[in-house]
Amino acid sequence: MRNDLLGLLVVIPLATAVASVALVRRSRPQRVLGLLSLGSMLVLAVGWLSEIRDGDVLVSQMGAWPAPFGITLVFDSLSGLLLCTGLVVALGCYVHSFSVLEPETERRYFHPLVQLLMVGVNQCFLTGDLFNLFVGFEIMLMASYGLLVIGASRRQMAQAYKYLVLNLIASTVFVISAGLVYGMFGTLNLADLARIVDARVASGEGLPPGFVGVSVMLLFVFGAKGAFFPLWFWLPDTYPTCPVPVAALFSGLLTKVGVYAVARTFPLVFAVGDARDVVTPLLLASAGITMFLGVLGAVSQHSVRRILAVHVISQVGYMVFGIALMTTAGLAGALYYMVQHMVVKSSLFLCCGVMEHHAGSDDLDRLGGLLKRDRFLGIAFFVAAMSLVGLPPLSGFFGKLVLVREGWTDHWWLSVVALLTGVLTLVSMLKIWTRGFWLAPVAAAEPAPAAGSGDLRGAYIGIGFLVAVAVLMGLAAEPIYDIAFHAGEQLTDPSAYIGAVNPRGLAAVPGGGG
Amino acid sequence: MTTVLAICVTVIVTVSVYLMLSRELKSIAMGVFLLGHGANLSIIAMSGSPVLPGGGLRQPPILGDGILVDALPQALILTAIVINFAVMGFFLTLLVLTARNTGTLNLDELALEDPPVASPELEPTVDGGPGGGVGR
Repeated sequence: MRNDLLGLLVVIPLATAVASVALVRRSRPQRVLGLLSLGSMLVLAVGWLSEIRDGDVLVSQMGAWPAPFGITLVFDSLSGLLLCTGLVVALGCYVHSFSVLEPETERRYFHPLVQLLMVGVNQCFLTGDLFNLFVGFEIMLMASYGLLVIGASRRQMAQAYKYLVLNLIASTVFVISAGLVYGMFGTLNLADLARIVDARVASGEGLPPGFVGVSVMLLFVFGAKGAFFPLWFWLPDTYPTCPVPVAALFSGLLTKVGVYAVARTFPLVFAVGDARDVVTPLLLASAGITMFLGVLGAVSQHSVRRILAVHVISQVGYMVFGIALMTTAGLAGALYYMVQHMVVKSSLFLCCGVMEHHAGSDDLDRLGGLLKRDRFLGIAFFVAAMSLVGLPPLSGFFGKLVLVREGWTDHWWLSVVALLTGVLTLVSMLKIWTRGFWLAPVAAAEPAPAAGSGDLRGAYIGIGFLVAVAVLMGLAAEPIYDIAFHAGEQLTDPSAYIGAVNPRGLAAVPGGGG
Repeated sequence: MTTVLAICVTVIVTVSVYLMLSRELKSIAMGVFLLGHGANLSIIAMSGSPVLPGGGLRQPPILGDGILVDALPQALILTAIVINFAVMGFFLTLLVLTARNTGTLNLDELALEDPPVASPELEPTVDGGPGGGVGR
């Protein structure tokens, strides 16, 4: 279906970012603008998502150029669901930031950077071609570099370079592989690529030499952004250094965009034919190791921020597991898991921010007895933590159920690893719960330092909003899973996607090798 | 032509990897920038010559007939250059800020959890002095 307004999801945050720059000294108008922008995008995205409940695909051709030549924006079940969730997460973290962020930090272009981050994230989710995916990545990363060093403390600076340099190298490899893909097929439009690759495999012509190499290069790129097994080392060091709302935003959005890129491009194009035999074992092994080592790392940590940050890695493993299965239900499970994880993980980070506000530190030795001081926080943290662990009827349960059941037939050992990881997740969450909320503090608690405005209303609204969404996702698992299942179908059988993006079936570029 | 470009890319990437292995942030920055240029050159090489191996001329995708190289890789490179330029600006700003706030651009010294006590003869050239601007 045609829908010419998809570009709004990129234009609205961009315009808001520009307006916020002009208002940078005045925080209240910036906040109102930011809320308006995020809220209107959420309304738009949810509206479109309800339009495509039955598995339709919305397509925008920029400048009315037909598909392989112009810029195409695609809103299908996969991108729609992730867009909505991303905006929910952003909204929660944004409201939270009003009361925990120091005014000094806020004036350093916090609001424009958040909007620019959303420009990049939305563009990544919407785009229909490989090069715009790169551009979206870059916009998102530029904004994240800025947010990462916001406030410019020594610790932030020392750790930021890891993130910066790794991502720059990954981006360079992305450009090179995009160039290689163009050299091989003469197009970068994902639907067009899928059509050409399928036709070549079907006709027995085979794929050009080096195609497997490009697949693995792209796997490296997306793996670095998504923090898969060998490329995760930047994450536990960088996330805990930034302010809590920023860390929550990053944990909800950044790595998931990397996972999304794998889910979008690999079943469609880069894991077809010979490439599948190389990519699938890599993904499976990476999934298992990421899950298990990630959670072991989390259990061994002793501060709340670091536990949560290392957990992000472990949870990414589950999503990669679902994608590596390359079946409809596997992909659907991965998507459902991703959606609930984004919300739950961000709310946990936000809880951590309020815990720090109460105790003055996130060291488990210094925390304690928080349940008495702040019952709402305790309940919110408990619900979110149990959702992360995957206890029914909370949302994490359904995601894990689908993944474990789907993986059981072919890769039972990975399912076992997934279950074991779940147990260890429970251990690490209980560690925070007992030490932070249940027991009396080991060391004498310091009086709460003055952080932010001292008025925690915004913080509680942010946490309450995200936890409520997480609970709702558990109670209303069926409709969300239905959309996720449509997404899985569209990924395993891309004919609907290809048809929607490339309706006239235009031939590929003459002489492009296709 | 492709061979010449390939050699150029190889040399650039080699130099940039050598630079990135250093412990000095300035060299790492230069290495990263060079790597970006290598990537752009490799796309040029990928776009090929206007003459196809069979003898025909490569047609530009949009304009119909005409003897032109494919314009799309050039557009890609232009975009990549702009992005690279922006990142370079950010990286250099961050370097200046790091030097001002921490007094060092060496990764080993930056990795120390507790900043060493300011010793003026160690970093005599840095503006503002070590640790002078932490938390500004």
